[in-house]
Amino acid sequence: MHEENRSGPMPGSPPVLALQNIRKSFGDLSVLRDISLAVDQGNVVSVIGPSGSGKSTLLRCATFLESADAGNILYDGQYAMRDGLYGGKKELREFRRRFGLVFQNFNLFPHYSVMKNITEAPVLRGFSRAEAEEKAFSLLKKMGLEGKENAYPCQLSGGQQQRVAIARALAMEPEILFFDEPTSALDPELTGEVLKVIRQLAEENMTMVIVTHEMAFARAVSEWVVFMDGGVIIEEGPPESVLGDPSQERTRQFLRNYQQ
Amino acid sequence: MSLWAMVVKMSEGLGKTCAIFFLTLLFSLPLGMIVALLRMSKNKAVSGVTRFCISVLRGTPLMLQLLAVTYGPYYLFGMNVSRNKLIPVIIAFSINYAAYFAEIYRGGIESIPAGQYEAAEVLGYSRFQTFMRIILPQVVKRIMPSVTNEVVTLVKDTSLAFTVSYQEMFTIGKQIANSQTSFMPFLVAGVFYDVFNAIVDWAMGRIEKKLDYYR
Repeated sequence: MHEENRSGPMPGSPPVLALQNIRKSFGDLSVLRDISLAVDQGNVVSVIGPSGSGKSTLLRCATFLESADAGNILYDGQYAMRDGLYGGKKELREFRRRFGLVFQNFNLFPHYSVMKNITEAPVLRGFSRAEAEEKAFSLLKKMGLEGKENAYPCQLSGGQQQRVAIARALAMEPEILFFDEPTSALDPELTGEVLKVIRQLAEENMTMVIVTHEMAFARAVSEWVVFMDGGVIIEEGPPESVLGDPSQERTRQFLRNYQQ
Repeated sequence: MSLWAMVVKMSEGLGKTCAIFFLTLLFSLPLGMIVALLRMSKNKAVSGVTRFCISVLRGTPLMLQLLAVTYGPYYLFGMNVSRNKLIPVIIAFSINYAAYFAEIYRGGIESIPAGQYEAAEVLGYSRFQTFMRIILPQVVKRIMPSVTNEVVTLVKDTSLAFTVSYQEMFTIGKQIANSQTSFMPFLVAGVFYDVFNAIVDWAMGRIEKKLDYYR
């Protein structure tokens, strides 16, 4: 359920992430039409909506995997993209330090052990190996994966692989963590173990944006829910209102499919 | 001439056979990677020209290419045919095999899921780091069976050096066969190649096994 004791944003501090008037088309297909969204420190925002509504594209634009056509992207009030123009290569690399992304298909590196999957990026970024490994051990413990450090991804279940992927993202100490349908490739049993660790992160006030089809989960962990369809935000607000008492017919229609 | 005398005489050419084999691998394996990267270049002109060169190298006989590289300079520019035939032989073999390896590499690189590049990018790997650390090791594992095929073919293709009278094992065998009007030297050559390839198979099998620790 919704918790009361979350630490809110510092008054006056800019949101961790601000997307302003984002537009993106693939050829003639307009996938994002003027999307704006701000995520404050310590908040969890869930993005829901039917397939093809643009929610994954939105995450991919925020993480520079896709380049938006127009709008602004700001991290901590600093422009990563301004009026459709991105910062330089070096600048974007610095911005990437601020966020982590967890993919639907995990995308672990199959030729690396669990330990190397988690520690290589931090080591390349200048952490000492000892430091990175110590961090990795504590993350594995947190993910319920103690003793798995020498395993290879192919030896793990999907749920375990996704938890390694979460540990890998956290090892970079991001200010904000993005999840792109983190449980869509998992069966219900494995889904539960992944949702549990995400919920735990929410309790620790990790700032997160989660694209998901798990409505009950979205309701339980989010401060804010965004419902997207056809490349626009149809409705957004606290979970009790968007999921519990939606104002838009399109939202009600969408949610009805989940209640059956 | 006794069978043993033939074997001894032909063995003297084995060093040169091995020279063609190892030098060709030494040059064509890395050259193939450069060609593959040019072939996949986003620049249409670069990839187009590379594609054309690959199609010529794969579409014409290696024997023809050997003759062209060895005697072409004489006919085109009046240059003396080099006395050391190893140089033109290695050039022709290396370029020809690079074309085949390039296509194998390209297939391997394109088979790596986009998610691997994306995960590395988000984690802050540079493009070079992504290629060297994440993509290339996975490509190597995937292409091993195809590479083994090419290496086995190369062992047998070294015999084509007879067309430019490079004194490797098969060339010597052919000369003995002519002077003695005997088929025996060809049988001996066949055994040599088969044993050579058995060793190649064993070695490549060991490498594949070493890469077997993940799927």
